Amino acid sequence: MIAGLRDFEGGRISQRELHALHRSAIQDTIERFEATGSPVITDGEQAKHSFATYAIYGLETLAPDGVPISFADGHIRILPRVTAGPFRYKTPADVYLDIARPYAHVPLKQAVSSASALSLLYPQDGIRDYSRQQYLQAVVVELEGEIRRCLHKGAHVVQMDFTEARLSIRLDPTRRLLESFVDLNNLVLERFSVDERQRIGVHTCPGADRHSTHSAEVDYAELLPSLFELRAMNFYVQLASEPDRERVLKLIRTHAKDGQRIFVGVIDPLDPRVETPEDVSERVLQAAQYIPVDRLGTTDDCGFAPFSDDTSRTRETAFAKIRARVAGTALASRRLGLD
Amino acid sequence: MSDRRLDRRLQTLYACIEALFQAGSEQELLQCICDTLVADGEFLLAWIGYGENDPGKAVRPVAQAGHGRDFLEGATFSWGGEERGQAPAGAAIRTGKACWVDDIRTDPSFSPWRTAALAHGYASCMAVPLIAGAVDLHGTLNLYSAERHAFEQSAIAHFAGLATCLTRAVVALRGHLADDLTSGVTALRASEERRRAQEALHQAQTELAHVTRVMTLGELAASIAHEINQPLAAIIADANACLHWLDAARPPLDVVRETLVAIANDSDRAAEVISRIRAFLSRSSVPHGPCDPAEVIRGVLPLVHPELRRHGIILEMSLAADLPTVMGDRIQLQQVLLNLLMNAAEAMREVLPERRRLVVRSTVEHRDDGPWAVVAVEDAGVGFGNNGDARLFDAFYTTKPGGLGMGLSISRSIIDAHAGRLWATTNPGHGATFHVALPGMR
Ligand SMILES: Nc1ncnc2c1ncn2[C@@H]1O[C@H](COP(=O)(O)OP(=O)(O)OP(=O)(O)O)[C@@H](O)[C@H]1O
Ligand SMILES: [Mg+2]
Repeated sequence: MIAGLRDFEGGRISQRELHALHRSAIQDTIERFEATGSPVITDGEQAKHSFATYAIYGLETLAPDGVPISFADGHIRILPRVTAGPFRYKTPADVYLDIARPYAHVPLKQAVSSASALSLLYPQDGIRDYSRQQYLQAVVVELEGEIRRCLHKGAHVVQMDFTEARLSIRLDPTRRLLESFVDLNNLVLERFSVDERQRIGVHTCPGADRHSTHSAEVDYAELLPSLFELRAMNFYVQLASEPDRERVLKLIRTHAKDGQRIFVGVIDPLDPRVETPEDVSERVLQAAQYIPVDRLGTTDDCGFAPFSDDTSRTRETAFAKIRARVAGTALASRRLGLD
Repeated sequence: MSDRRLDRRLQTLYACIEALFQAGSEQELLQCICDTLVADGEFLLAWIGYGENDPGKAVRPVAQAGHGRDFLEGATFSWGGEERGQAPAGAAIRTGKACWVDDIRTDPSFSPWRTAALAHGYASCMAVPLIAGAVDLHGTLNLYSAERHAFEQSAIAHFAGLATCLTRAVVALRGHLADDLTSGVTALRASEERRRAQEALHQAQTELAHVTRVMTLGELAASIAHEINQPLAAIIADANACLHWLDAARPPLDVVRETLVAIANDSDRAAEVISRIRAFLSRSSVPHGPCDPAEVIRGVLPLVHPELRRHGIILEMSLAADLPTVMGDRIQLQQVLLNLLMNAAEAMREVLPERRRLVVRSTVEHRDDGPWAVVAVEDAGVGFGNNGDARLFDAFYTTKPGGLGMGLSISRSIIDAHAGRLWATTNPGHGATFHVALPGMR
């Protein structure tokens, strides 16, 4: 798939051929994902070019030289920059959902980008005749439409990737930017009823990085209070890779609001070692001490989505890890007496 | 160092300082600094890299200028402790200190990149960390020269100083980015809230309009019931007559047919009134659609006619033929007209019977933005005098014992929502005229 995208960019294959490649990659991923026994699956996010920008990839009103941004996975990407209004999505997520759905036999989770991520594409020195506010308004409207269509087309849950939370604190230590990000995402979420929001989640991987001793690292303690201000009902929180999980769980217990469901990450995709079901079960049981079991679920820390410039992670390991999550979660619910 | 070289460095420094103040964004600034540093030919390549926090601890070039882009594409630098982390680019991030290679040909720490570097003509290189006080951007500014030993102590101090200024400027730009985003979001939130408040207001108005419609109709119920009763009584009488005729040996079929036609007409009349009432009571606020003002006027007549007749009021109509179609909610427009007609009727209750004359007049007005439809309801009643004028349209302003004072206030908010105007004038002789102006459809 990654090779295919390069070929497409290099003009060696056509858009049609690229789509066919997507299709077969998605079909393959879904089959293997289902084979892990995971109750909810994703399409592996094969078709996304990079998660902040997939919906706009190929737009003519973009220049390639926007903000250099360090993403939650640690990679720095230079975001594209919007050059003119009006802003419209090119390939919204429901297009990928359309491709994936015929192959899927269990509920699908569909990821979308967040308004806050897209907000970074507006150039710092502005665009003539297209104000930042107009741009943000267009982003909110596009996202609402995208999420609605995904819900309507039967996505089990729509997951908004809110990975620039950590970045926002680094840009603005006073946290005003983080609050604005939350506020902006809420402008999208508030357009949905409480019932609809039961099927909308937010994904974050804001944790401290094990590999890094870097002073600019931002801790969960700074993020979680604002995070739970988001008017989503489901939170997918990176936890497996945290050095001190208990501390994070305590923070979650303090800050999560009534009715918000927490899916804790029990698998660390960056760790080359495959977790055992026993590891997973232990992590779940630990989480259950802090989060009521009716509001607790499990997830992988971050998706296994391959970035288009990253070939390092093998799919074999990824699926073995997902199998461990499924088995370990089942084990834990037996131990908790839930079966 | 030669004076000429010193001079050139100063020139370059001035250009860099200008960029620090001029750049609109971080990316633009980094690129501009790289461009400036290679401009005078002292260096072959200038690039700025940020350290990534991925497992490989890569140093990712985010801006570059000069000769050798493909060198950067092919080279991988790391800021970790292993072999790929030994080049100045990574070592300066790791240690927070300037690092350099005097001779790429011989320096063992540069061996992974040596062949490619020599192929590009690089003989020495240097990296200074992007650090200013406690702020660490976790990146480096890198310069490559065609000369060996190009970076003596004073040059390194010079570029380390530049890196510090650059760091401060980046931090300031990031701060602005945060400010800009925050103010953009704040403005959007404010406008969303205005929009929501407007929607809520519209919703409340629609509901209020509905409630008052129900009340108005309640007031009219007696006369409307009477109105419907008449055709019903006629239908019963006619039906009985028909039955009677049909009993005869040779029924007068012509007469029977004629009577049945009358029954059908009476039924239509009653049904029409009832269907008007039902439409009028409907709760839904329909999306605005094209409405013919004449049709709106005709729609309310069955509802007010009985009341007018009861009070001996004569209704005259004068409708322009070429009224423009307007965009609106037909039922709400009818409600406005009904309110005006009721007020007019009420204003004439106390005046002499021969003065009880009501005129509904429609005209076209050509304004700058196109034709407008104007409907005027003119009575010869008690009038409102000049002092009442200002408060007429206030909610709860009434001079009637059983009045609520809502009719005109609701009517005005309905017309406002149609981008139209509603106003009152005093007639030269007696009474008042109320005018509704609505813009024609564009
Ligand atoms: N055609 C008219 N001639 C004279 N005065 C009028 C006329 N129409 C309205 N007014 C004055 O304006 C006041 C407000 O009118 P409005 O229709 O808002 O309320 P109302 O008729 O008193 O009560 P209701 O809420 O039942 O309509 C009236 O009480 C009356 O004093
Ligand atoms: Mg009235």
